[in-house]
Amino acid sequence: MSTQKEKNTPPGWDYNPSGWDDRIPIVVLALIGTGIATYLALYQLGVITTVWEPFFGQGSETILNSSISNILPIPDAALGAIAYFVDVVSGMIGGTRRWKNMPWMVVVFGIAVGPLGLVSILLVILQPVLFDSWCTLCLASAVISVAMIGPAMDELLASLQYLKRVKNAGRSTWKAFWGVKEVVNQVN
Amino acid sequence: MWAQIINTVIGIWIIIAPSVLSYSGLGTDNCHIVGPVIATFAIVACWEATRVVGKINIPLGLWFLVAPWVLGYEETLPIVNDMVCGALIIAFALVKGKVKGRFGGGWQAIRQSGSLHEREAQNEV
Repeated sequence: MSTQKEKNTPPGWDYNPSGWDDRIPIVVLALIGTGIATYLALYQLGVITTVWEPFFGQGSETILNSSISNILPIPDAALGAIAYFVDVVSGMIGGTRRWKNMPWMVVVFGIAVGPLGLVSILLVILQPVLFDSWCTLCLASAVISVAMIGPAMDELLASLQYLKRVKNAGRSTWKAFWGVKEVVNQVN
Repeated sequence: MWAQIINTVIGIWIIIAPSVLSYSGLGTDNCHIVGPVIATFAIVACWEATRVVGKINIPLGLWFLVAPWVLGYEETLPIVNDMVCGALIIAFALVKGKVKGRFGGGWQAIRQSGSLHEREAQNEV
């Protein structure tokens, strides 16, 4: 069992960033984020008529009905829910060696987690600056998406280091990126 | 890690400070814009693999040292608060903290040759 674990740990690392103990907490956070964003999207779409706001009075209603939140064809919370769900799916797919045999999924996961967090911080900034209000659940969602960035990036680092070793070996990084076995089996 | 947690708290304090200390004018927007950015980088830097991101808060702390003068704050309390927060943010952003993991040589190892992950991969053959 321990040798299996060692086998999955990338060279020069002390743990396996693709291990389930590393990924499950991020997926759980993403699931909570999906739930919050879905709830806010249902309000924006008019399916529910009130929204929970314990601290800032009319804050959530002001923010969720603002011009920025409807700047795209679908409300911003719906986009958030989709992005969180991409986090959940791309966090689950692949085994505990996916930093090596499925780099593309690790990169999709990294791109889904990183920019999602940055966009949600942009929205946090816009709330007081443009509308002089705050939205409690929007803030909670932003905190969740930022908290996911740090723990998700280690796996991306392991995959990028692997692609560097593939390049060093004179193999196709393109094939390694997609996890083609003939390349993956030949480079450590 | 504790240094990054403190910077997270300072970033959040900067966001709410304008309502507590009655800022006026540009100072309010400045805090509402830069505060969340500081807190974000500090949170991401809590994890060892992304600790380096905390360094971005050094220039942001510097900005808070000069912002009261650049943006022309008039009240004393906001001036003092911004400058104290700026100095503290710089100080804690400079704390590297304990990094136990080796992470194959870190982010620079993606480009640098002869990095830790490359050497260990060769030993595994």
